[in-house]
Amino acid sequence: MLIRTSDSQLRWLSLLLFLLIALISLLPSLRLLTEAVSSVSFTASSPLSDVLTSERTWRALKNSFYTSSLGTLIAVLLGSGFAFIVSLTNIRRRPLWVFCFMLPMMIPPQVTALSWLQLFGPASPLLNTFGIAPELGSANPMYSAEGIALLLGIQSAPLVFLALRTQLMSLPQDMIEAARMANAPQFRIWVDIIVPLSRSALVAGAALAFVSSLGNFGIPAMLGIPINYLVLPTLIYQQMAGFGEDILSEVAGLSMIIALLVLAGMLMQQWLQQRSQFALIGHTAQPIFFDLKKARMPTEFALGMVLSFILVIPLIGLIISSFVPALGMPLNSNTFTLNAYIEMVSNQGSTARAFANSGTLAFFTAMVLMLVCLPLGYLLMRLPMRVRAVVASLIEVPYAIPGIVLAIAFILLFAKPLPIINVSLYGTLGIIFLAYLSCFLSVCLKPVMTAMSLLDASLEEAAQLAGANSIQRLMHIVLPLTAPAFFAGGLLVFLISINELTVSALLWSAGNETLGVLIFNLDESGDSVLASAISVLVVLLVAILMALLSLLAPRLPKGIIPWHD
Amino acid sequence: MKLKYGLSTLLAVSFTLPLSAQTMETLTLYTSQPNKDAQLTVDAFEKQNPDIKVDWVRDGTTKLMTKLRAELSSGVVKPDVLLIADSVTMESMVVDDYLYAYNSPFKKDYEPALYNEKGFYYGTKLITTGIVRHSRAPERPLDWHDLAHAEYRNQVAMPSPLYSGAALIHLATLTEDNGLGWHYYEQLHTNKVMAQGGNGGVLKAVSSGSKPYGVIVDFLAIREAKKGSPIEFIFPKTGVSMVTEPVAIMKGSKNKEAAKRFVDFVLSKQGQQLVLDQGYLPARSDMPVPDGFPSRAEITLMPFNAAKTLENNAANKARFSAIFEG
Repeated sequence: MLIRTSDSQLRWLSLLLFLLIALISLLPSLRLLTEAVSSVSFTASSPLSDVLTSERTWRALKNSFYTSSLGTLIAVLLGSGFAFIVSLTNIRRRPLWVFCFMLPMMIPPQVTALSWLQLFGPASPLLNTFGIAPELGSANPMYSAEGIALLLGIQSAPLVFLALRTQLMSLPQDMIEAARMANAPQFRIWVDIIVPLSRSALVAGAALAFVSSLGNFGIPAMLGIPINYLVLPTLIYQQMAGFGEDILSEVAGLSMIIALLVLAGMLMQQWLQQRSQFALIGHTAQPIFFDLKKARMPTEFALGMVLSFILVIPLIGLIISSFVPALGMPLNSNTFTLNAYIEMVSNQGSTARAFANSGTLAFFTAMVLMLVCLPLGYLLMRLPMRVRAVVASLIEVPYAIPGIVLAIAFILLFAKPLPIINVSLYGTLGIIFLAYLSCFLSVCLKPVMTAMSLLDASLEEAAQLAGANSIQRLMHIVLPLTAPAFFAGGLLVFLISINELTVSALLWSAGNETLGVLIFNLDESGDSVLASAISVLVVLLVAILMALLSLLAPRLPKGIIPWHD
Repeated sequence: MKLKYGLSTLLAVSFTLPLSAQTMETLTLYTSQPNKDAQLTVDAFEKQNPDIKVDWVRDGTTKLMTKLRAELSSGVVKPDVLLIADSVTMESMVVDDYLYAYNSPFKKDYEPALYNEKGFYYGTKLITTGIVRHSRAPERPLDWHDLAHAEYRNQVAMPSPLYSGAALIHLATLTEDNGLGWHYYEQLHTNKVMAQGGNGGVLKAVSSGSKPYGVIVDFLAIREAKKGSPIEFIFPKTGVSMVTEPVAIMKGSKNKEAAKRFVDFVLSKQGQQLVLDQGYLPARSDMPVPDGFPSRAEITLMPFNAAKTLENNAANKARFSAIFEG
């Protein structure tokens, strides 16, 4: 074991955890690898070499890289801009801003894409009201690489925002105070203190955004496929759709390309983060505020504009399309109907099941991952830098593999009953649950690792001198100091998994449908009105859950809820 | 430790659920029908057969088959009954020996072209592919050739044969036609026709006006138009291609008696009445047509051969993607 301490408790714990990571993240990746390699032969036409020599593969790779990079850039600009303004200035109604900024992530990506298409299309109810709708059949600007990148950016901006905000809330107040006393101009405080101190979180957020953009399927499927702009996940989907004998190995080969891209990204992130270490000694008594003075109103106005663009307008589009009898009709007093809601709530047995399934899955995934990440993050921080980088990257891989491929890996792994205990996981919620654990481990671990890497080692050393064993140190020192990061991670996992689509799209079975599957199936079979109605209900549910958490905020430790101070 | 308890309960529940349901006979159905129709079909069947409970999974035909193939390659047979879009997919299942031949007593009520002669699968409805236009669109296309004309440049959406089973059969039918052929698809590509994902995507594109014209399956457009959507469905003069949404029993099904009852139900007059009520053309020719359809005599069906199409499937897909994606 590479653990420095000789505590046997910790050693057992670490052994157990390594097994766990191996099980939930390495196993599917390995299964794919064997599938890809199994059919490699030295002839010119093995599936893997076909993939590597195909011009489409390289074009998709280039497209993936372009849309994900541009999307990440947009996400970083949006997310960090919001995080800085909302966390560090004296802007009013802070919790409300944060709350609203988190919401775009709750709307399933394909729904976001659909509402944007409808909003700016010729039949847009909104544009038609003002008589500025484009001509019938005119090109929609959303059908482009930049359109894809824009939506990817909006979708993953909250990831950057959350990662950064957790960090900003624990910025050491005394440094800034000292700088102020030394009469440093605001500009220098930003450049010399705040930006360097938050760089590590910014890099972590950007990496999450990049990886989640790389694996996103819904947005490039809606906006890219019609104009034949393929990225890796949509290329894989097309290959699968044209299934043949060798398709699994071809698809596995394509996934490995994505996995390599992600590994490269992660190593770069580790390298960047190594260069920005500083120690965290707990939460400051009172957050730092910069007085915006006269700029407060314009800043609030600008934030409002951005928010209405990325949240309010698509949401209105969604609500409008859930109240009309059929797609493409304008909403007015004659056409208004609640039929879609009545149909979904009273006739379709799947609605209640999907809510229950997704809710249960999301809750337990978040809980289990939070529990796992505490000792896991702690152990990882104790590994040598290089080993840590490798392990962290391996954890990242399942998150980056397109959901559809991860699902295939899980079917291959678990379709047969498990050996020894002879229980079949396939066709139960259990297999989706395991896939979620594998898929979202990195989402939860990332903020935790960031927070832990900033922990001042002297605190623990003092405890060790006082005779505290590793478990005690973990519970009494590490956990309280990094609790907000845990909660942020768990919350992210909950919010992402409640709307998860691509993994469950193949793993679901009769009676085990998830919300994402329900919405996607309705939408795909032409029942967009029903799909919109369910989406509205999902957004409502998430908003209510978040509001309930806000009400609880005063009773919870400070910093636990990301949108509360 | 409450949490741990909760988790183990969750896992325990998810393990035991399939077991506890076995007290009643459970039939698993894989279908590509839209959710709402699948639910209606299952409800009606369960009402008639209170001792059978149906669990159903809905997905697009291609994705459903990917899932099924992955299951089969791991040696697991989940569904008892398939009710999917096209006979070509069924034909491929027959070739790979996955289906069970059943001689339904209702066979005699159907045209021989609609079922497999050995009884491996039976067509349940006729879903034709025609043209849809937005009501504000300037032109009114009457035949397939119109879509290749200059006025339609960049204005047409169609489902991609790489995604939709119906679209693949449509491609096979049209390319076999002497007047159309592959040349027609090349013209469509030159005319910048957008090959969307599935039929649902075309419906969205046309009803939201981003493409004023489209190629689409009949029931989607006719049903939406009846609800008030600003679109109109046109049966082209040359004729329409069709899929039959066949039903079949899996060879590995452990529940063949219940599965047979399901097949008989969809083929019975009652099951066909349900098809009619849902707004589809019933496969039985002695049934009337749903609202919004012309009489059967006015609908020209283009000839189509399932076995031959299966042979050409891979080549057709490859040729299509070479034209549209090359």
